Amino acid sequence: MKHLGKKLVACACALALTGSMAALAACGGNGENDEVRIGVLVSDVSGEEAVSFRNYYTQYIAEQYNVTFTYTEQLNDSASEIAAIEQFAGQNYDAIISLSANDRASQAEACEEAGMYYAIASGMDDTIYETYKNNEYFVGQIGPSMSTEYEAGLAMGEYYADKIEDSVAIYGAFIPNPMHVYRMAGLLTGLGATYGGATGEAIVGAIFADSGVTASKISLEGKTVSYLAGFGDSTMTEMGTIIATDPDALLSVGMATTFFSAMLNEAGIPYADIDSFTTSNAANMQSGTLEYLAGKYTSSIGPIFAAVYNAVQGNKIENADGSAISISQDYWVATSYEQFEVFQTSDSVTDPIYNKELLDTVIGEDVTYEAFEAFVTTDRTPQA
Amino acid sequence: MEEVLKSRSGDAVKKQKVKNIIIMLLPIAALVVLFAVYVAIILANDYNLAINLETIVNQAIVLVLVATGAIFIFTLGSFDISLGASTLFSATVGILVFNATGSLLLLFLTCIAVAVACSLLNSVLSSVFHLPMFVMTVAMLSVLTSIAGTIITTNSTSAGANPAISVSDSVLRDILGSVDTVWFKVLILALFAVVCIFVFNFTKVGRRQKFLGGNPVCAKMTGIPLSVYGIIAFVMAGIGVGLGAAVNVTYTMSVSTGTASDIGMSVFIAIVFGGMPISGGARSRIYAAIVGGFSYIILNNILNLLLSSVDGRYGYVQIISAVLFLAIVYVASINYRVKHLPR
Amino acid sequence: MGNLINKHQLKNFGVRTAGTLAVPALFVVVIFIICAAQGVMVLTSSSLFADFVCYAAIVTLTTFALSINLGSGRFDFSLGSMATLSAVASAQLTYSMLGGGAGSGIVMLVFSVLIGAVAGAFSGGLYVILRIPPIITSLGVALIFEGITFVLTNGTYIMSEVQNDSMTLFRTQWYLPAVIILVALAAVYFLFDRTKFGYDYKALKEGQKVSINTGIREVPNAVWCYVICGALMGTVGFLQAARNTYISTNVLNFGSISVMFTAFLPMFIGGFIGRFSNDKVGYLLAGLSMSLLNSLFAQLSLIGIIDSSSRAIVEAVLLVLFLIFLNNEQTCRDLVTGRIFKKWAEAARERKAAKHSREDK
Repeated sequence: MKHLGKKLVACACALALTGSMAALAACGGNGENDEVRIGVLVSDVSGEEAVSFRNYYTQYIAEQYNVTFTYTEQLNDSASEIAAIEQFAGQNYDAIISLSANDRASQAEACEEAGMYYAIASGMDDTIYETYKNNEYFVGQIGPSMSTEYEAGLAMGEYYADKIEDSVAIYGAFIPNPMHVYRMAGLLTGLGATYGGATGEAIVGAIFADSGVTASKISLEGKTVSYLAGFGDSTMTEMGTIIATDPDALLSVGMATTFFSAMLNEAGIPYADIDSFTTSNAANMQSGTLEYLAGKYTSSIGPIFAAVYNAVQGNKIENADGSAISISQDYWVATSYEQFEVFQTSDSVTDPIYNKELLDTVIGEDVTYEAFEAFVTTDRTPQA
Repeated sequence: MEEVLKSRSGDAVKKQKVKNIIIMLLPIAALVVLFAVYVAIILANDYNLAINLETIVNQAIVLVLVATGAIFIFTLGSFDISLGASTLFSATVGILVFNATGSLLLLFLTCIAVAVACSLLNSVLSSVFHLPMFVMTVAMLSVLTSIAGTIITTNSTSAGANPAISVSDSVLRDILGSVDTVWFKVLILALFAVVCIFVFNFTKVGRRQKFLGGNPVCAKMTGIPLSVYGIIAFVMAGIGVGLGAAVNVTYTMSVSTGTASDIGMSVFIAIVFGGMPISGGARSRIYAAIVGGFSYIILNNILNLLLSSVDGRYGYVQIISAVLFLAIVYVASINYRVKHLPR
Repeated sequence: MGNLINKHQLKNFGVRTAGTLAVPALFVVVIFIICAAQGVMVLTSSSLFADFVCYAAIVTLTTFALSINLGSGRFDFSLGSMATLSAVASAQLTYSMLGGGAGSGIVMLVFSVLIGAVAGAFSGGLYVILRIPPIITSLGVALIFEGITFVLTNGTYIMSEVQNDSMTLFRTQWYLPAVIILVALAAVYFLFDRTKFGYDYKALKEGQKVSINTGIREVPNAVWCYVICGALMGTVGFLQAARNTYISTNVLNFGSISVMFTAFLPMFIGGFIGRFSNDKVGYLLAGLSMSLLNSLFAQLSLIGIIDSSSRAIVEAVLLVLFLIFLNNEQTCRDLVTGRIFKKWAEAARERKAAKHSREDK
């Protein structure tokens, strides 16, 4: 009986606790009536770029506009993406901005079913865009397109083509992620390499056909090429082996600044990556051996917010043919710390390039697609 | 004097019975309370109740299907840590077959066949070579995840960050969409639960499995073959995994390397949340998986709603959820304390 | 007589040495053959050797930690979360004190061990207070620790806190992880083989009820086991941070559990070696063997022969094969000596004879 009493007390406590929590939640209400609520799908919560994007939305944009951003936890598969969209829909959110790319098709369909606007703040596969571009709730996509990714790799390769004398190491990050595949194809082309006999954009198809890069298929005349990819228990040993061969440089299509910067800085091996203009990369460029960085900047996700905000306010911007927008954004490239510093100081969470003043020029009822496209494609690269 | 003693012992038996009933009903009561709180929050905030309930079913269904089948394994006092990997692997093969044939029936049959085969492989290898089941399933977890990963990477149609096999044909997507409804999922669960309850409660299988789980030595001495009932348990678990995998495909229309990655562990939580001891035996119940699975998902959703504006909320949600989980298990096991530490 | 004893001792010593070194030697031989066949080499530089020792330390200490509770029938799913939590908390604490300056490495190591021990005490304390099966407690504890790690970092990578010259030493100077291995080995050996605590542990492991009835106090013994596991996993967390040069902290929803699976194969190998010498020495030799295998995988990966998926399959198959061997030793021995065919023939003859006798009747 004593135990039964204990149980009843425990149950009563639990009920009281949950009841009071429910009451608390009810008191919180559903926010102000004209507040715009946007759910943000993310597949990366760990990287500095992801954090700076998040801070720009939650600390700058949310302050300037009457908007609430709610971020998901790290989404690892399509099921978690759809579940997150359904949860946002159930809580009457107005729109979804996606930075998660497990299954864009299902995301678009789930948003359409829920009647929520849907936008993508990064690159998007052309086939999927074509399938969903006339979806009523699909706002569109603003971010580096696959051809921009190819160009970013190409520029890096061309920059190093003459600098590589004997050997080069290449990090393929998470190939066959399409973004990394396109960058790799560009990089190999820029270096003057072939892949299994393929050259130029044909390398993309060859890598997809192999479901990855086969090191022995990379051919760069008169030079040794080492290749590694992914991250697992043996990756640091692989990198150690590569460092022991003292390559002229390590060229990466992503994530090298997170995984290997400490090792490469210590070994004095120059490296290049496609990442973002973060504090740690500034340190790597100033006192380490990072010498080439193509990257996104914090407020580059400002225009997609403007497009979503317009759509929620009843002014969905559409192409001339009435379909959703699809505009590519370029990377900035820093090859010196001075240049990096200019980029970094020109765009921050508190003082972003896409500030309220600038965004307001494309927010409103009269904004046309042409004006919006020009707004996004205008080169805003800061000059030293 | 005798009458007094008899009446006292009768009272004690009655009290014990009441206690047992309360303990048995506790998980169900917890589910009812959690559900009531969840609905209260939804209504108080003027959220869409229908969508939220659908979300709960969508989030819980795979876990509940897998956990319901797994009850048979847990009843024997054994457990399978590769259930998540098996779900991934059968979903991978299932989606390939569906993409090739466009047949829903084949999708379900393939998923079930593959999952049962994986499950049987665990059981047979373990029994033929006298391997500890837990370690066998750890090895299976690695093997299945890796093979599925290789298949997915090789056949990836994804434009996303992770390799994935998607159903991209619009006609096939429509076919899958036609069964991606709450009612279909509830029907699948109900049918499977009825079959499981029948096998578990109305045939000798359940009784003998409980006996084997509760006292394996005694059960063996009475001539109950562990290997036979072990195989039956793994087949039932395989069916649950297969159904879960197929339902997952109809819901997401794609399979990636991250599919069902946390199912293996969540099954433990669901079963224990539902009031069943991890050691199996006589107190095993089929409904534990259903009650526990839904309780766990509803609890997480309540916490997510309550902490939506808190920085680092997913961490807090997990901490609070784990504390409540331990508290409920503690309360539910008060009657079954032993002098020494349980192992 | 003296000669006989000497001969017997010598034979015994020979058997024990051969048994102890058989598996590591097999690893070395097979790896050497594969290297020769593929034209690759392992451990070719001092930095690669340092990486080899560092990884061996990680595997060995994880195996120690796994075997302590698993040996007593206590499944502990929280090992990985303890390692991550201790590494994250100690990195933040050390950085706030020293800003990555001199001595950061050793200070972080000390904090990692202490925080790991506290985490272990929490886990063990919860187990003995709640008195629910350890597998359940450890699931809850893993979720709690993962949640705390996420709250501490918001899921972001820990990078600058662990990227300093002092930490680098633990990755590039082989003797530092080697010292850690030796200290851990000595501590575990002393505690479990040379103290009352260790004797009680073994007694409880072999016969829980009998031990308790003889007056052994199970509760403090169990809590101390968890504390030791925590301290070991704290060290593992530190070594992983030093080796990887960053800490991935987004481990929600059981993302930390896989760490324990990596220690199963070395635990069984170590247990086998332990029959001929000491199980702790066995775990060390198994850890070294696994690290050598990791070095081989790295070289094969660089030439595109193996990837992470095939590596996982190879390791799982090795685990199953070794377990098959362990659980069917007599059959394996008979298979090697050819005795199994004789046995089969005898069994067939007996069946035949029995059949004839039935037919005669």
